[in-house]
Amino acid sequence: MASKADQFKTAFREEGREVLVDLESALLELNENRSDVELVGRVFRALHTIKGSGAMFGFENLATFTHNLENAFDEVRNGRLQISSELIDLTLSALDQIRAMLEEGVASAPQADPAACAQILAKVRRLTGNPAKQDAEEKTVALKAGSDAGCDVGSEADLGTDAGQMREWSIHFAPGADFMLNGANPLLLLRELSQLGGLSVRASMAALPPLSELDSERCHVSWEMVLATAAELDAIRDVFIFVEDCCELTIKSAASLQSGAESLPDSVEALQATRSPSAAGGEADRTARELEDKRVTSGGRRAYDAPDQASSLRVPAAKLDQFVNLVGELVTVQARLSELAAQRDDIEIALVSEEIERLTSSLRENSMNIRMMPIRATFEKFRRLVHDLARDLGKNVELTIEGADTELDKTVIDQLGDPLMHLIRNSMDHGIEPPDLRAARGKRATATIHLSARHSGASVLIEVSDDGGGIDAEAVQKRAVEQGLVAAGAQLTESETFALLFQPGFSTAKQVTDVSGRGVGMDVVRQRVDSLRGSIDVVSEPGLGARVTLRLPLTLAIIDGLLVSLGDACFVLPLANILECIELTRADIEIANGKHMANVRGEIVPYIRLREHFNIHTPRPEIEQIMVVQTEGGRYGFVVDQVLGNCQTVIKNLGRFYRHVQLVCGATILGNGTVALILDPERLVQDAVRAISHSARGRPARAALRTGDQEGKAGAQTVT
Amino acid sequence: MGVTLKQSKKSSVIRLEGAIDIASAVEFKKLLLQALGSGKEIRVALDGATDMDVTAVQLIWAARRASERVGVAFTLSGALQEQVSSALGSAGLQQFLAPVDGR
Repeated sequence: MASKADQFKTAFREEGREVLVDLESALLELNENRSDVELVGRVFRALHTIKGSGAMFGFENLATFTHNLENAFDEVRNGRLQISSELIDLTLSALDQIRAMLEEGVASAPQADPAACAQILAKVRRLTGNPAKQDAEEKTVALKAGSDAGCDVGSEADLGTDAGQMREWSIHFAPGADFMLNGANPLLLLRELSQLGGLSVRASMAALPPLSELDSERCHVSWEMVLATAAELDAIRDVFIFVEDCCELTIKSAASLQSGAESLPDSVEALQATRSPSAAGGEADRTARELEDKRVTSGGRRAYDAPDQASSLRVPAAKLDQFVNLVGELVTVQARLSELAAQRDDIEIALVSEEIERLTSSLRENSMNIRMMPIRATFEKFRRLVHDLARDLGKNVELTIEGADTELDKTVIDQLGDPLMHLIRNSMDHGIEPPDLRAARGKRATATIHLSARHSGASVLIEVSDDGGGIDAEAVQKRAVEQGLVAAGAQLTESETFALLFQPGFSTAKQVTDVSGRGVGMDVVRQRVDSLRGSIDVVSEPGLGARVTLRLPLTLAIIDGLLVSLGDACFVLPLANILECIELTRADIEIANGKHMANVRGEIVPYIRLREHFNIHTPRPEIEQIMVVQTEGGRYGFVVDQVLGNCQTVIKNLGRFYRHVQLVCGATILGNGTVALILDPERLVQDAVRAISHSARGRPARAALRTGDQEGKAGAQTVT
Repeated sequence: MGVTLKQSKKSSVIRLEGAIDIASAVEFKKLLLQALGSGKEIRVALDGATDMDVTAVQLIWAARRASERVGVAFTLSGALQEQVSSALGSAGLQQFLAPVDGR
């Protein structure tokens, strides 16, 4: 079991990672808008947060290394240093080292590079050009060669004590009930405070309860301190910035001390406690309000109050997965209960079963929502990739992001990073033209890579598009012939041609570069998208750019489904795709002259007979059902024997043996214990459309199809 | 490592080893109460502690006060290691670990 210290470190790592993502994003934005004061503040705050939290949780090297960068951005904040590409690049490089220091102690995590750290600090010092500090820092900044942590930086007595008038501050500090349990350590805070100047400390145990009543994990000590420093009030406040909500803190300047503020009671509570019931309450109340104001304004911090209800909670992902798995099991058992209730003529059991079904459905929805996360963090981290690659490739590229708040299952998000990285690298290396070529083509000098996300039924569409030169379909085919992937002279459709890009080892690059050309990246994209039961669509316009769309399921756990039957078998269709359900009689078929199309309120909807598609040979019923579904390619119908009803579908993997079965996206266990396959409407339609094109070229196809634009609305296809 | 209690006929010896912080606070309190409950002389050996936080200091101080109330001798033995002494000193806490003979 992990110790508390380890748990705090883990919590800090998690928070630290988020802060670093925000820092990276702010730096890249600052690179574009160098006069934006708010962005400078954001960078400064992020660095300060990392430094302060790092020191508090025992990441000393990280804290001191970050402190040097924080100083640089303090200079920027105070107008003494200009934002430059060099400062941004240096800070980005430093961020990589900070990231490594943050992961110190985590197995297989990259280690911080002491030499790189030293180099970065030297360059930062040169930029800030503060020779007065340089000597002191050279003494204090020492790299611990061979250390796991990478950088070991000693204490810095000059922290925040820039030339200025020395003042005295009186500080009252009393940690609250949860202070220690939150991982904070008052001794470290006092140490940080002492680095601001001369500090005299008086600790008090006046509030210490008897041993038997003492909460051993709570800090019962309070401190009265006098700090002589040239630092501003903000610098003193910043020491306590992470504990402001869980401590009582009053900071008074010597001036306010002399003005008599010290004669006020220590707290509102103390004042109210001493108030006589018979005394004129007005005066005491007014003084109490003034004191309360002082606690907020003069001291700069609101004193500690009972903690508010937490607005959010950090839960380990593994616990969440376990929770969702249990909900999945519950859904399966509930289906069994519903089945049993339906078989018995017992109204009581039926009512209980319905209630449980309703509650299970609600629990499922809630648990699924907990797993949903916005894709923003995944998208934002590519700003850095684009920035670095653009510099390395000598291209001007900007990344635009759309739909960053689109939410999808955490499991899906976790696996999206690699495919998106490869797509962006490919786009930057092969798609985007060099600046001179763009100029020759009359294009904007700065190219754009656009990342977007949006919902579409039970799927989410992630697009990576660029305004580069597009994909040369001819070159792709030629290379495919050279690699023996297709026969010479083969007639390939555009989508078949672009599908070759995702074959293992396929590359049109004439030479392998650091960025791409090995033919590995796109294969990784395909494998990862396949494992997520997603699909890839590529569109290219020569000279104008290319767009790769990843269609991914919103969730990998439980979905709402519609249970249908075909012969003796049951199948599930994702409910989110289904628009409506209509009857298909023999008369309807005759009216359509046997063509596989239905007239749905004047609109011709092509349909696919799943019975034929799956080679099910049992006799078909007199009246069949058409499930009208919405797909990316338009509206299609799937003909089934019977609609059995809604069901909450716990998605089970088909296992390795069946992983290449394309038309189903999993299986589920029904209430009666049988297994139903979950159909993938998109792939069913794609399969049918592929069969049309193969049939048109005389190739054998599973189902004979032909395009039916002349028979229906644009894009409709019919099965004959 | 951590906090251990050894009891003899006449005394209870609590030995601190390694980092004595919030992680060991519950155990430390339990052993202090156990020692107090025995009514024997209590001795807390500090020299094995490589780090101490405020929870450890306040437990020792509370135990010392409790022992005075019930008339049990309380002794702190062994010198604090330098880094511990320095850290507690800069927080004004060293005074609570001043040598005490407790008799």
